[in-house]
Amino acid sequence: MFWPFLLPALVVYTIFMIAPTVASFWVSLYSWDGIGEMKWRGLGNFELLWRDEVFHSALWNTFVILVGVGLAVFAFSFALTMVLRDMAGKRFARAVLFFPSIVSPIVLAIFWGFLFQQRGLLDSFLHGVGFSSTPNLLGEHLWLIVCMGMIWMSTGLYVTIIMAGVDQIPPYLYEECELAGASAWQRFRYVTFPLTWDVISTAMVLWTVSSLKIFDFILAFGGTTNDLPPVGVWNTALFVYGKTFGGRAPTYQLGYASASAAVTLIAIIVLVALLRRLNSRDAVQL
Amino acid sequence: MSLSGVVAPEKPNPRKMGVFRHSRSARMRTSPGRKVANLLVWLLVAFNLAIFAWMFVNSVRTHSEIFANPWSLPAALHLENYANAWVTSGFGNAILNSVIVCATSAVAIIALSAPAAYILAKTNTRMSETMLLYIAVGIGVPVQVIVIPLFVVVENLNLLNSLQGLIVVYVGLNLPFTIFLLAGFFRSIPDELEEAASLDGAGTFAAFFRIVLPLARSGMVTALILNLVWLWAETFIALVLIQSTDHETLPLALLNFMAKQQYAGADYGQLMAGVCIILLPVLAAYIWLGRRIIEGMTVGANK
Repeated sequence: MFWPFLLPALVVYTIFMIAPTVASFWVSLYSWDGIGEMKWRGLGNFELLWRDEVFHSALWNTFVILVGVGLAVFAFSFALTMVLRDMAGKRFARAVLFFPSIVSPIVLAIFWGFLFQQRGLLDSFLHGVGFSSTPNLLGEHLWLIVCMGMIWMSTGLYVTIIMAGVDQIPPYLYEECELAGASAWQRFRYVTFPLTWDVISTAMVLWTVSSLKIFDFILAFGGTTNDLPPVGVWNTALFVYGKTFGGRAPTYQLGYASASAAVTLIAIIVLVALLRRLNSRDAVQL
Repeated sequence: MSLSGVVAPEKPNPRKMGVFRHSRSARMRTSPGRKVANLLVWLLVAFNLAIFAWMFVNSVRTHSEIFANPWSLPAALHLENYANAWVTSGFGNAILNSVIVCATSAVAIIALSAPAAYILAKTNTRMSETMLLYIAVGIGVPVQVIVIPLFVVVENLNLLNSLQGLIVVYVGLNLPFTIFLLAGFFRSIPDELEEAASLDGAGTFAAFFRIVLPLARSGMVTALILNLVWLWAETFIALVLIQSTDHETLPLALLNFMAKQQYAGADYGQLMAGVCIILLPVLAAYIWLGRRIIEGMTVGANK
């Protein structure tokens, strides 16, 4: 009964997931607008990417989200977990912190934009308390604000994941700590952290996978479906969209965008391989 | 409306309620660093609550009121914002499309994943391990890598700009993750049950449908909820595959509506009303199913 159970899923998965991934590499060797004939280009697309500053910044931004935003999310999540652990009303607090994870990122982006825009919430607050000139935050520091928004909207999920791991640590270990007179830092360093390592490494994989897919939160800062956000805040997902179907006048550079996707995929594979080597310590057995 | 019902209390865990626990929290209460930390967490919680409160309050104010002072309360209730938002946004049609797409895809995903996950969880051969690895690859492939070939595939199937095209792609995309999630649940069902069934003359098929599926119901509900949360918000694929307003899903309608309100019409009151129309059902679902959603979204990482 092995194949009858597996085959339907396997066929659909192969057609809509594996075949497109392979095809992406193939298309990346051509110049193609999706309608006309495909023109062989060899590695020409990759050479262009090598010199394309917009792509460099998109790839860099993807990396900043993966590592920079990721570190911030995990640091905050850990800190919050530690505090929430023995706080009265922790379930309510956790439920509220988690809520942004299931709200449409577009909705969150609309609010986040208004928080920082001129004559928005922060701006009028600063005027109210006496600042006469306020910076144009959205205009000048858009990338920073987008990153802060991503930290804010992602933290709740990871707090919940890490907390579920921490809750499984048997309390007698902390009793031991107490008896040995361990400080809060030592408790964290020698008990909490090693015992939640399994959960953390899974959460890291989850973050790696989902951070690369961040798209609509950034897109919404462009304002419309026709106008993309400034190229300075693009990640590779927006780069692919911007070079193909997006914008007021879509350019349909399918080959070129596929090449950028291929580079992204290879970069991820290398990163994940590195991450796995880093994570390959044994789980502590209880 | 109280959120305290969101997370139902867990069963009391006697190990957690030892003497030590009391002594520790007693000590914690006196520590000033602890107080500051608690305060910071509550500030963050308050910030999250304030955001949603702010959006609801401003959904009944006019555009000029909001920009005159975004911090003040409404002078009068401009409930017409909601009616206007509903009309300009086309949310009615988009919600219908989203419901069709999400419900059909989610059910199809579970129907395809469950047997595959079951057989992979219960078979321990080289082939099943290879297949599991083959499926795992799909979890890591980001949408931007496959979106262009998917566009071409859907175009060739003549399903561009149709809900069917979107559904087919969504099913393919969510299979790997769902198979992994369900395989975890199936593994936790003891083999003895199926062995007993086979002694009674039931084949794999009967054992799966009569014994395993009913037992794994909670796992499948979790998988269903997770898929729905993800499908409901999916934007990238929908943007590429759907071009007309007739077939747009809710995220697309929201993007278009946002564009209209921020630029052309510039009416933030209406924009906030539109946002609230989107938020209210999500909030209701969260209050109703919160514990399930939270557990579902964390269960994968803790298995």
